[in-house]
Amino acid sequence: MVRDKIKQAISNEVLYKNLKSFVENYKIAKEKAYQGHDFENIRRQLNKIKDYSYDEIVSLYEQFKENAEAKGCYVYAAKDGHDANSYILDVCRRHGADLIVKSKSMTSEEIGLNEFLKQNDITPIETDLGEWILQLAEEKPSHMVMPAIHKSRQEVARLFEKIKGRKVDENDIKNMVKIARHTLRDYFFKAKVGITGANFAVAETGTIAIVTNEGNARLTTTIPNVHIVLLGYEKLVRSFSDSLKILRALPKSATGQIISTYVSWISGTYPASDNKEVHFVFLDNGRLPILKNPALKEALKCIRCGSCANVCPVYEIVGGHVFGSTYVGAIGLILTCFYEDEKIANELLKMCIGCKTCSVNCPAGIDLQSLIFDINAAISEKYHVPTYKKIAAYNVLPNPYVFSQVSKIGKFLQKPIVKNKEIDKIPFVSKDLNFRVLPAFAHMSFTKIYQKYYNENRRKLYKSRVFFYSGCAIEYFFTDMGLYLLNLLDKIDVKVDIPKKMVCCGLPSLHMGLGSAGLKTILKNLRFFDEDIDQDVLVLCPTCGSTIKHEYPKYTTISPKDYQKSIELRERVKSLSQLLSELGLKITYKHKYKVTYHNPCHQKRGLCFSTEEFLKPILGEYFVPLKDSDKCCGFGGSFSFDFPEISSKILDNKIENIISTKADIVLTDCPGCVLQIQGGLKKRGLFTEVMHLSEFLEKYTELEEIK
Amino acid sequence: MVEKFIMYSKAVGNKNFLVKEEDLREKGFEKKYDIAYLPSFSLVKMLDVGRNGISSAIVEADYGIAETGSVVINSLDFQLRKATCLADKLDIVIFRSKIVESLEDIEEFLRDLTKKNAYIAFITGASRTADIERVLTIGVHGPCETNIFIVEDR
Repeated sequence: MVRDKIKQAISNEVLYKNLKSFVENYKIAKEKAYQGHDFENIRRQLNKIKDYSYDEIVSLYEQFKENAEAKGCYVYAAKDGHDANSYILDVCRRHGADLIVKSKSMTSEEIGLNEFLKQNDITPIETDLGEWILQLAEEKPSHMVMPAIHKSRQEVARLFEKIKGRKVDENDIKNMVKIARHTLRDYFFKAKVGITGANFAVAETGTIAIVTNEGNARLTTTIPNVHIVLLGYEKLVRSFSDSLKILRALPKSATGQIISTYVSWISGTYPASDNKEVHFVFLDNGRLPILKNPALKEALKCIRCGSCANVCPVYEIVGGHVFGSTYVGAIGLILTCFYEDEKIANELLKMCIGCKTCSVNCPAGIDLQSLIFDINAAISEKYHVPTYKKIAAYNVLPNPYVFSQVSKIGKFLQKPIVKNKEIDKIPFVSKDLNFRVLPAFAHMSFTKIYQKYYNENRRKLYKSRVFFYSGCAIEYFFTDMGLYLLNLLDKIDVKVDIPKKMVCCGLPSLHMGLGSAGLKTILKNLRFFDEDIDQDVLVLCPTCGSTIKHEYPKYTTISPKDYQKSIELRERVKSLSQLLSELGLKITYKHKYKVTYHNPCHQKRGLCFSTEEFLKPILGEYFVPLKDSDKCCGFGGSFSFDFPEISSKILDNKIENIISTKADIVLTDCPGCVLQIQGGLKKRGLFTEVMHLSEFLEKYTELEEIK
Repeated sequence: MVEKFIMYSKAVGNKNFLVKEEDLREKGFEKKYDIAYLPSFSLVKMLDVGRNGISSAIVEADYGIAETGSVVINSLDFQLRKATCLADKLDIVIFRSKIVESLEDIEEFLRDLTKKNAYIAFITGASRTADIERVLTIGVHGPCETNIFIVEDR
């Protein structure tokens, strides 16, 4: 059960410590490695290089096969895991191999090769140190590149003691590596067959390349007389030029190395002590049909660097045994949908918080988060979705009347537990859920406050107008953020218009996996935007803004009128910081509070406008940079209710960073982040004030038009 | 370009030496090594390496890549390949004129050699792992030490 696995992972101190320090060091190492390189350009290049149609892959395969066979190699096209396993078993049997050596191959984990060989009385020995440790521990890898990252030196020492029959000093890591060196050396010389994967398969000449650090792939391919290469079709590249470009990025994104210690380019039946026999086993297992799908085939551009796991805030907390199956991290969630049990895949998809950090870090330019999000929205309803979620998504969120009735009920029910517009603790629920103070339902909805505001402040003349979409958080909970906005914009003679009815943007339903409810909500929402959108559409919630910008065009592709509106909206939706920046105002900070800024995921990576850069010149010396300012706060909407333990731990890290700034105020421009961070600080009795940008600007700055 | 090569080579822990051709033609130079493969100096001393490996080998590289501090060695020869895998100390000789700027500069070499049977190795430093608690350890399944000798031939 995922719940139990999460609890187990979170209570594992060793894992938590290892992952936390790894993630921090990785960030620094990766940045250093890419210095002098244009990462965005590399992403564009790699995305293009690995863009194949199904026909192209088949043609590359034919080309590879022709070249390899001309040099005496055997090439086999395996339909699925069982097919590949049987072929490999057959080769091993023909050579009387009772023992074989392997260098690391995720593809072999995918098809369960080791278990299959063992069932057929052949002993596979993993020679990559991390994989060998796991083999001894009978565990699965928890990371693509550092498989044993979850194991402590003590655990490794105990494992080695078992096989050596003597005491092993757990603090002498150098010595433990020596033990591996000597023990595994024997196996290279005893094995009759060596099995490897391949990082690239260059069709040009039928050559593969293996990228390693330890030297085990070199020995695996050199000592035994038989070499079997197991690889998915997606490893094929057209030319050496392409493979070298991928090689430039792979080690940098994987471990922050400029290049790995060894890159072995292997072609034909290269010499051995006897006649070398080389077999290539190309694996389909579901890859080929995916290549015919323009959206899904993006995932096959993966170069297996593991960086999506390295930057994922959820992975950092729970590790790869929870956040993935054979493959871990963001790509792991997607590949589990392709190659493994869909029920398991469905559960895993739910653990994506939606922060998009994976998408912007992927060297192959894959928008991983969108793929996870879209697959989740498409398949969730094949499995159990809690009834209350379905009711919320289908009946409440798309229906402003029902929503307002629900909020009335909420206002009534919350009376006993509300104090100062806050809910400190929800009774009768799991302790995990009460890790932060929550906002109460507002007394009056924002729409009502808006109507009251303009009734009481009648003016004849405004210089310009802006259309404001509030979203549910501000409409029903954080109404003050909206009111501050009205005041702020009034000072510069900007009139605010709002939709006749405020309908949810649709994201909560989509995130819950209810794609058709999301679509229903989106279409409903669009009805309340005019046909001709001639004003900027302002949002104070970047999640709503991001959804309008990116999801609306996607979900309305075959509804022409809605699509046209969506495209128009996409150009016009913007955050307050972007709006003010474009108005070219002089903004003067009138106080001396020290201020730091948290970057909401959907502001930086969704709306793609940096409020941080907007604020720095305004705050000057009073700005204190926040460490990892663009790292997720752990809210993720429904995520923080579904996975409160993970949300809470991510929040811990964010609060730790905020406290170290010693700032008086932490600013942000997302009501979800305000909820999470403010709720967390209050629960801990900490006094740093959390403010939305609208409130901060209204209270503490002066806006002037530049003549 | 040599400076760039040395910078990246140093970064992975290699000791780098600029030498003259005469230094390597010194009488008995190859006696320091169990295996020597320096065809440009007509110095070839091979043996069949077994499970216990050898203490040291000195091998001539075909190219050096400044971008990454790597050497490129045509490792088709079985004995030579075993030597580079199983030597505890691997010293590498590279002519200054054979150091190229970037990975793409090796493209043609790779294409040409792989038209037939081939095994080409890019080697950057000594074998390493960080698989135990991410503590970097040098010397796993390959050499524990590599030194680079750059021959000034220009």
